[in-house]
Amino acid sequence: MVYGRDCDVCDGDTQCEHCSVEFTLDVRCEGDSTLDVTTFDLQTSDETVEPADVAAARKAMEEDEKLLKGILIVKLRKNQEVKLRCLARKGIGKDHAKWNPAATAVFQFEPEIIINQQLMETLTEEQKQEWIDSSPTKVFDIDRATRQVQVVNAEAYAYDEEVIKKAEAMGFPGLVTISAREDSFIFTVEATGALKPETIVLNALDVLRMKLDGVRNGLTMALMEDPQMMNYQMNGG
Amino acid sequence: MTNAPDRYERFVLPEGVSKVTRIKDTRITNAATFEVQREDHTLGNLIRMQLHRDPEVLFAGYKAPHPLEYKINFKVQARDTTNPETVFRRAIDAVDTEIADLRKAFTEELARPRDQGNFY
Ligand SMILES: [Zn+2]
Repeated sequence: MVYGRDCDVCDGDTQCEHCSVEFTLDVRCEGDSTLDVTTFDLQTSDETVEPADVAAARKAMEEDEKLLKGILIVKLRKNQEVKLRCLARKGIGKDHAKWNPAATAVFQFEPEIIINQQLMETLTEEQKQEWIDSSPTKVFDIDRATRQVQVVNAEAYAYDEEVIKKAEAMGFPGLVTISAREDSFIFTVEATGALKPETIVLNALDVLRMKLDGVRNGLTMALMEDPQMMNYQMNGG
Repeated sequence: MTNAPDRYERFVLPEGVSKVTRIKDTRITNAATFEVQREDHTLGNLIRMQLHRDPEVLFAGYKAPHPLEYKINFKVQARDTTNPETVFRRAIDAVDTEIADLRKAFTEELARPRDQGNFY
């Protein structure tokens, strides 16, 4: 399937089978009870293309058929019917957000958390717990065996500095030092359901390489057209 | 009636327009501006940061001149041991290699059976 703008067959009309997939909906309510028309009722013209929730349901089907329910489109009363034709097109998020498969994409520097164990040992068990509880996210805990305060989840630290303020308020400044490692970060990608997050990341890397390739070729062309650039070519570029 | 710009104008290179144009700097020695069409901060920042890692680069910067002009301009000054074109090209290749390496490592990690209990 090609992008509508690249389609030579229908010349950018984005209506032909090379750049779009047609879905039809044709449902009539015959019974007395309300009929839910869902994504499951959409008939595709191309078996390899279907609504994301239908594709996911197909996988889950093997486990429990009862769990399955499509996304509600409309409810029908007796003798009502709905008939329509939809076109699914390929596109990119830069054109319209509806094509963006990522719900959130964010990165944070990995925190480096160092506890001053020597100072920590001067705290009572209650003080330790009080200090641990001052963090809004669960970053620290007491080791059951050694009774030492330790980092259990560094990634959960939200750079809120609550534990640092708490240590100062308790009269133990320098109890913990936290810095952001600038050579390591945690990248979080949440998908909308249309694509898997790992697919989004891989696609993003491919797109970046494609863009770089475009600039590289553009540069080669620009320098070829330029007679002054003999010296560049001699250097092997 | 509408004056809305063409739908793909923002990211599709129009026919007859060059992707890259080089403008030699006449006042600063061994410096050039590279105008790249239909790209934005995504590549701008990436390439600039790579240029900064290059010891043969004296100055490297980029700007997106206007939100409605779909291009970016790189300004590069190289040491006299080389030229702006070479370092610019080298930066593109280096970023490309880095992304390729990252992709490889990512794919390998995906193939590794992961610790289910660690996910939340
Ligand atoms: Zn078409």
